Amino acid sequence: MKIGLEVHVGLPTKTKLFCRCKAYATEPNTAICPICTGLPGAKPMLNKKALELSVDISNALNCTIEKETSFVRKVYFYPDLPKSFQITQKDMPVGHSGTLKINNKVIGIRRIQLEEDPAKILREDNYTLIDYNRSGQPLVEIVTEPDITSEDELRVFMNELKSILYYLGVDVDQDIKADLNISLSDSRVEIKNVTGLKNLIDAAKYEIQRQEKLIKEKQKISQETRSYSEAKLSTISSREKESDEEYGFIFEPDLTTYSLQSIKPKEPVYVSEIAKEYSKKYHVNESQLLEIISFDKTSLKIIQSFAGKYEMKSILNAILSFKRYGKSELKEKFIEKAIKLIEKGSYLDGEVISALEKGKEININNNVVNTDEIDSEIRSIINKNKQLLEDYKTNKKAMNSVIGMVLKKFKTNPRIISERLEYILSNEFKV
Amino acid sequence: MNSYEEFSKKDKPTDYFIKLSEELSKLNEELNAFNVISESSKINKFPISVKDNLCIKDMETTASSKILKSYIPPFDATVVSKIRGKNNFSFLGKTNMDEFGFGSFGVNSEKCPKNPFNTSYVSGGSSSGSAIATSILKYHISIAESTGGSISTPSAFCGVVGFTPTYGSVSRYGLIDYSNSLDKIGIMARNSNDIRFMYDIIKGKDSYDTTCVDVKCNNENNKTIILIDELIKGINPEIEKSFLELVDNFSKMGYKIKHKSLPFIEKAIASYYIIAMAEASTNLAKYTGFKYGFKNENISEKYNEFFTTSRSNFGKEAKRRLVLGTFVRSASVKDMYYSKALKTRTLLINELSKVLNEGFILSPVMPIKTPKFDEINKFSPLEVYKTDILTIPPNLCGFPHIAFPYKYLNGMPLGAQLITKHWNDYAIIDIVFEWENNFKYNFKYNLGSL
Amino acid sequence: MDNAEFDRLLKICRIHLDKSEYQSIKKDVDEILEYFKILDEVDTSKVVEAFHPIKIPEKTSDDTIQEFNNTEGILKNSKTYRFYVVGPDL
Repeated sequence: MKIGLEVHVGLPTKTKLFCRCKAYATEPNTAICPICTGLPGAKPMLNKKALELSVDISNALNCTIEKETSFVRKVYFYPDLPKSFQITQKDMPVGHSGTLKINNKVIGIRRIQLEEDPAKILREDNYTLIDYNRSGQPLVEIVTEPDITSEDELRVFMNELKSILYYLGVDVDQDIKADLNISLSDSRVEIKNVTGLKNLIDAAKYEIQRQEKLIKEKQKISQETRSYSEAKLSTISSREKESDEEYGFIFEPDLTTYSLQSIKPKEPVYVSEIAKEYSKKYHVNESQLLEIISFDKTSLKIIQSFAGKYEMKSILNAILSFKRYGKSELKEKFIEKAIKLIEKGSYLDGEVISALEKGKEININNNVVNTDEIDSEIRSIINKNKQLLEDYKTNKKAMNSVIGMVLKKFKTNPRIISERLEYILSNEFKV
Repeated sequence: MNSYEEFSKKDKPTDYFIKLSEELSKLNEELNAFNVISESSKINKFPISVKDNLCIKDMETTASSKILKSYIPPFDATVVSKIRGKNNFSFLGKTNMDEFGFGSFGVNSEKCPKNPFNTSYVSGGSSSGSAIATSILKYHISIAESTGGSISTPSAFCGVVGFTPTYGSVSRYGLIDYSNSLDKIGIMARNSNDIRFMYDIIKGKDSYDTTCVDVKCNNENNKTIILIDELIKGINPEIEKSFLELVDNFSKMGYKIKHKSLPFIEKAIASYYIIAMAEASTNLAKYTGFKYGFKNENISEKYNEFFTTSRSNFGKEAKRRLVLGTFVRSASVKDMYYSKALKTRTLLINELSKVLNEGFILSPVMPIKTPKFDEINKFSPLEVYKTDILTIPPNLCGFPHIAFPYKYLNGMPLGAQLITKHWNDYAIIDIVFEWENNFKYNFKYNLGSL
Repeated sequence: MDNAEFDRLLKICRIHLDKSEYQSIKKDVDEILEYFKILDEVDTSKVVEAFHPIKIPEKTSDDTIQEFNNTEGILKNSKTYRFYVVGPDL
């Protein structure tokens, strides 16, 4: 099985790619000008910031970045394309021949190019409605080699890519769009325009199933373009796209060539490498660490600055507690206080977190509890009264007596006991 | 003195502009110089006309194409705002042209422009109306545009001075594209002073056009005129005779005359038309019948059919260039045509730059005498393209050039063309100024005389 | 160029020609393409393409918003419905 991807990433610029309209606006046709509506006489002017971001991405994906880059006109007719050509890249893209490592495998990156988005088009009964706000929004297209060989690799690749983009300041959670190329045989099937990670994986799943079925039945798989239907959970054959012959690419003569060497790319962050390194060095769970830092700059920064100074386990515990109970953004100084509490044996519940956030002093002595002791007391009470588990299934209050019993032994906050009880019931007794 | 100063110093009768407007409208019915003439109430300063492929805010702009009928630009072209910014000028109207600039004689416009010296002759194209307007109005400057000779040719046929600057020296923002790497906005006037005066207003810096380059123009004159054998050899004998008299005159003015052979220059026509058509075929893709200009009312038609129906509003020459332009950039033949043409352009720029470092190239503007309308019909499109041999080389290579009247033959003006190296624009304007010391331009009409 | 190739080109550029135009334009196109072969003789093996006649230095905009002040002027040129531009069916 071979899967290749063309991922379209919207760039977080203030203005569009070739004009100075707001890049993102909601009311239809409010962020428009002669350039992005393709009025006769208007000319494009490249947004430098978009070029810089595309260099950041190319660099992060280990691409070769040539001295210069330039743009072409790709001509095709569709009502959402105001000039009937898209300004995109062809022979001189921003980046090419790159790689991205996932697990223990390398996925090739064929090319990375900068291009403009067409307008948004709504289909009505027998006409269309067009909103040019989207027209000219900057997109980076990342084209991979067909090196992905399973759904799982697809998921890991996309998560890794999204995390790299996130750390470059390109947050693409919802609007990541991609074309999928899937071939289980000699014929390549292209699935166009899938939006969002979940749909992408679903589309791949259904297309793989479809092709497997055809192979089993000894039917021919035709080389074609399909589209994914979220409602039908299947892929459907769609209109044939033009080929390069028809696009008739020419150099965009209203623009020039742009130097790439003068742009200093932003340092990329590869969270999976960090997670691997830290988990080995500090003996913590790699996937838990990866989950914490994949899309969270602040957590990563805190972990990096406290690593070695405090126990990694305590650092992660503090971060997770803040993520669970905290109302404001993570702050290094609160986390550090929390770590100190943890290292002194304190248990962080909602009250403690809230007090920390308000800058109140915590009286450590009152709060010091050894949760391990509480846990074993809870376990022993339940093990002695197995009926409690049966009762609990129908009546959640059945366990209240346990809290009372533990409270007699440890004079501490009943909520801590309640939380530990809940944790043990679900994780250890699976009720 | 430029005519703007002269005009400003003279007293004007109270109804001067109303009368001017009336006379112009009347004559325009015969000559078709203007697609739009402004309301007379809006004309109260020195009158400027603008080729109809340049956008003026709130004034219908069609590039003489049916497919742009009723298009009202919501913005001014950069040249228009630069002129507006001076507060000294009125926009008299939009001038007729070959549709989208596709033509050498002006006949590819629905309302055919006519030569003011004799209406059975063509005016030349594609900036036909600008040349006619300049030829009939005593006080006037017109903003024209040249892709392959669209300023020189009509200037020569209508007996005015036509200046095409170095590619990139005037912003193209607001110019309806024919061929973006060839299009140059220039000026037509009745003398070289007006050209220099207007050039200083419209050239330079613009943050809306990437290809507009802010370079200081030079004025280097080594007093050498170069005649390229291949440019002279095919011209009409009567024209050749007159032209050699002009060369003699330059000799008398102290210019050294040099002859050079440059056989390679003949490749310019193919190189030019391939690039121009390839770019034009992408520029014309946007006209699909619903965003602006011509409206196809049958909105429920499927888009491909809808577009095809709408696009039948292009004229025949536009259709011809669309097909050819689409072909030459097709992936399978692109190297043979489009890329080859661009590389040939590189060679031509190099060869011609060498020659232009030695002096100014002088030639007639057209190898034929001004044709009559009934003669034009006998030309095949290729024959028409080939008549551009004298104007295409500087246009293809972006060299500044200027056309100026040098003789009147049987009542019709003859024009010659001087070419110089990139950014030496002022030099050729000055040479024409020098020429004007010994030669008096004649005009048949002088509307608005004071 | 054969008729099929000519028809294909017409389709790509969304142009329909009536019978008389078809014949005459087809003839012109053949003649002009034949003439373009004059470039075959040019040795361009070591030559780069001149995308412009002069060197165009880099010029970019700096990602600051400048709203266009006449969006109504744009929309007035189209048929609109609730501020959307009405386009043909898909």
